[in-house]
Amino acid sequence: MSPTHDTVPVLSVRGVSRNYGAVRALVDVDLDIHPHEVVAIVGDIGAGKSTLARVMSGALAPDSGRIERDGVPVSLTSTRAAREHGIAAVFQDLGLCENLDVVQNLFLGQEIRRGGMLDERQMERRAWEVLSQLAARVPSVRAPVRALSGGQRQAVAVARSLVGNPRVVVLDEPLASLGISQTAEVLNMVERLRESGLGVVMISHSMVDVQAVADRIVVLRLGRINGDFDAQHASYEDLIAAITGITPTGRLPRPNRPAAL
Amino acid sequence: MSAVQQRGSLTQVELAGVTGLSPATVSNIVKELTGAGVLTTSPTSRSGRRAQQVALARNLGLVAGIHFGSRSLRVTVSDVAQRVVADQRMPLPPDHRADAGLERASLLLTELVDSVDATLAEVLAVGVGVPAPVDPESGRIVSVGVLRGWDGVSVPEVLERRLGVPVRVDNDSNLGALAELRHGAARGRRHVAYLKVSHGVGSGLIVDGRVFHGRTGAAGEFGHITIDDNGPICRCGNRGCLDALIGAPALLRMLESSHGHLTLADVISRAQEGDPGCRRVISDAGRLLAVAAANTCNLFDPELVVVGGRLAEAGPILLDTFRNVLAQRTLPSTAGPVEVVVSELGTAAEVRGALALALDHAGIAESMAVAG
Repeated sequence: MSPTHDTVPVLSVRGVSRNYGAVRALVDVDLDIHPHEVVAIVGDIGAGKSTLARVMSGALAPDSGRIERDGVPVSLTSTRAAREHGIAAVFQDLGLCENLDVVQNLFLGQEIRRGGMLDERQMERRAWEVLSQLAARVPSVRAPVRALSGGQRQAVAVARSLVGNPRVVVLDEPLASLGISQTAEVLNMVERLRESGLGVVMISHSMVDVQAVADRIVVLRLGRINGDFDAQHASYEDLIAAITGITPTGRLPRPNRPAAL
Repeated sequence: MSAVQQRGSLTQVELAGVTGLSPATVSNIVKELTGAGVLTTSPTSRSGRRAQQVALARNLGLVAGIHFGSRSLRVTVSDVAQRVVADQRMPLPPDHRADAGLERASLLLTELVDSVDATLAEVLAVGVGVPAPVDPESGRIVSVGVLRGWDGVSVPEVLERRLGVPVRVDNDSNLGALAELRHGAARGRRHVAYLKVSHGVGSGLIVDGRVFHGRTGAAGEFGHITIDDNGPICRCGNRGCLDALIGAPALLRMLESSHGHLTLADVISRAQEGDPGCRRVISDAGRLLAVAAANTCNLFDPELVVVGGRLAEAGPILLDTFRNVLAQRTLPSTAGPVEVVVSELGTAAEVRGALALALDHAGIAESMAVAG
């Protein structure tokens, strides 16, 4: 973690635990996301990455612990409630409607209306705005989503999360099953999100991609935080060691909470 | 022919000017080569008069340029007339490794070529730029420690086997210099120093209109000029190298206690917004850069210094200090201080140079000789 931050974390996870029956998916997890920061969450299968993403974005309620926005505890009862608190998420399935065009997908459930009518012109303008913020290469905002490539779909899904001007964007496995040039586009997009001052949480298991764009890399292992690395200085070997639990290297002392083992 | 090749496309009148041939001769040669399918012409206008734009025909094939930076990879595909047909950039991790990097570059190139409905068989040559000294003949990286994870790697050996296309490699700053000479701020100049100030610092020297490589390709290793004999230890093992003082890691470290975690792009944009700490760090970098550049200028007296790389985007914040200190530190001349300009091609200079390198080795001249 960087030594100093002059900003209050925009999003904090405090002592969050979540069980699925006997499976302890998250155990006493603490995590801070600052504005203008890309935090990557990495870990083995079943380490709790997706559960954490779902808790942060209101899709899943924790058994204990809380979420804070700008230091104030908030209750995220649904993804819609989370969006209203400025936390937007893009899940692996993207949730796009194949038959609808880009504008319709962006504003589905959050249409802009004027005098009870849909304001198509305003929505189209806003669509170009968020897509250009991402420098996304989408051929036309009136093209149906089924005609787009994997990377372009990812861009549309991320753009949809930006429509409500969020402060934090949570991306769950945004690079899964993408080719290399689409991966490149998504990584460039993550850089753009960061440049526009957002806090970005990126869940991935591709270590090379994570190291390319992240400011911090947080390792989850068996539901616990097993390392919080400055991406600039963390080596691949350090990360693999933390993921596989070979050594406790990189574990930061957390003064408020005794390390729970 | 090589005049068209070097400049991409130009009008017949310009072609006559460049080659020194009479317009009638040029017209005849162009007609002959167009008939042979080597050149294509299209009507255009020049200063209000009708003219013929001359370019190499697309069906001659494609060339590709690959630029590995310290933190990014860029792949560009162009036709032999140097019209860019596909271009993609992606961030890379710090201390990226040769095997993973070359694999990504190969995949990206294959996908880009595919995206323009072409195949690798149509790619005549690939030019590659890496931020370390390279033996221009073998394409082997000759440095130790400068680019961690790439020591001694023979880039052509790996890429040629992977792609089945001839590969030429050079230092990225040398390629930046070549691109500025052919298409950018140094067009028509003979002696030029190109300084690349990005994540790392490097330079390319143009002597008598050609890139100067030295014994092993390590000429112009500007980043490893000693500035402070008692300075911090550099990646290369020496002390107080310019790169250890003004490379991105050094600049970011200086700001870490006051500004937290920043990227080089953050520092530049904050400096432009007026952040005093970021401005100071960049302007101090300009001073040290000028000290090193002054030594270089005193040594080979270039007619032009081109400043490129990401930090050049900071504009006057970097360059005001740079120009002042450079003028102060170089030997006063009756010709006045050396001219300093910002790169015209910006961060695309290196990849454009890689394209030029590929084109120079694509064997266009040979196929032309057959056709002609």
